[in-house]
Amino acid sequence: MKRKFVDLNLQLPIHDLDKTRKMLEKAHELGYDLVAANLSPDTDDGTITYIKKLCASVGIDFATRVELIPKTRHELLGHLRRLRRKFEVVSVTCVSKVVARQAAKDRRVDLLFFPRLDSRKRFFDSQEAELASNALASLEIRIKPLLLSNGVQRTRLLSYLRKEAVVALNYGVPIVISSEASETWHMRKPRELAVLATLFDLDFPTGLDAVSKFPLSTVKRNREKLKSNFIAPGIRLVKRGKNCH
Amino acid sequence: MSLRTKPRHRYLALKIESNKTFDKRTLLNKIWNSLTRLYGEYGASKANLVLIDYKPEEGFAILRCNNNGILMVRAAIAIITQIREAQVAIHVLAISGTIKALRRKLSQTQNV
Repeated sequence: MKRKFVDLNLQLPIHDLDKTRKMLEKAHELGYDLVAANLSPDTDDGTITYIKKLCASVGIDFATRVELIPKTRHELLGHLRRLRRKFEVVSVTCVSKVVARQAAKDRRVDLLFFPRLDSRKRFFDSQEAELASNALASLEIRIKPLLLSNGVQRTRLLSYLRKEAVVALNYGVPIVISSEASETWHMRKPRELAVLATLFDLDFPTGLDAVSKFPLSTVKRNREKLKSNFIAPGIRLVKRGKNCH
Repeated sequence: MSLRTKPRHRYLALKIESNKTFDKRTLLNKIWNSLTRLYGEYGASKANLVLIDYKPEEGFAILRCNNNGILMVRAAIAIITQIREAQVAIHVLAISGTIKALRRKLSQTQNV
């Protein structure tokens, strides 16, 4: 069966519809079947519907995504309570250890991202991985910082990513590779993203899973959960009303 | 132990997207630079890169490399974002073991 490729982090310039359309067309041309765009938490339903229509006209599936950057545990919980049912993918940027631990153990979080280029501020260790593995969260690796950095900065980034990838694989935490592209120049084919994953010692098939199987399963699982007939994993409401025999 | 000594090649068809055009030497130097930066001189020496064909106006190139170095070359190409301060994205259109098969693959994808 043909693989479906997913980019879970496109930074679409929603205010510029021409550019948004170009980026979506580019994503389709590069071979993506599904993209998720980072939306602001207060994006209205009209805008989301419009982008979905735009994606449908281009021939690509669209998932809504929100990125949370909470400073405290309580802030994270508040955001999740408010936004979980509005967006199909929830990513948390872990800027502190407390937030990272809470995000890893919360089943409402889909993606964990560690932005800092400082070894003491990258919190994806074995404890974090164990929590994430139990809560079905994935480790998000963004390619844009890798493309735009060079020299020592890129070397350090690769070194951290290598360490984190090993921890994730050891604990069975899925790795999701996304582009974080805000311009067409930064967009790469899914197989190119998988090849770039070899730079931090993921093998090519695992890299391919990171741009297809893992992100796709996240979106599928969440879409199932967001349906009105969903009760719990494996339990669905099949009929409603008086004559439910 | 394998007795094969003849190196196996892979041919890559590339699409170069940029607002500017570059000459053959500039493009090849950029790919070599990227390869050397990522894998060092020892790693880059395994790739055995040769630019077979280049059409600057069409933004199309065919590159040959060693089969063993294919992932390194693809990573080095994918990571290029600039050539002479111009924004660039280089995409691999097709890969094959012979030029003939590569051209056949390309014509098939163009027909689809």
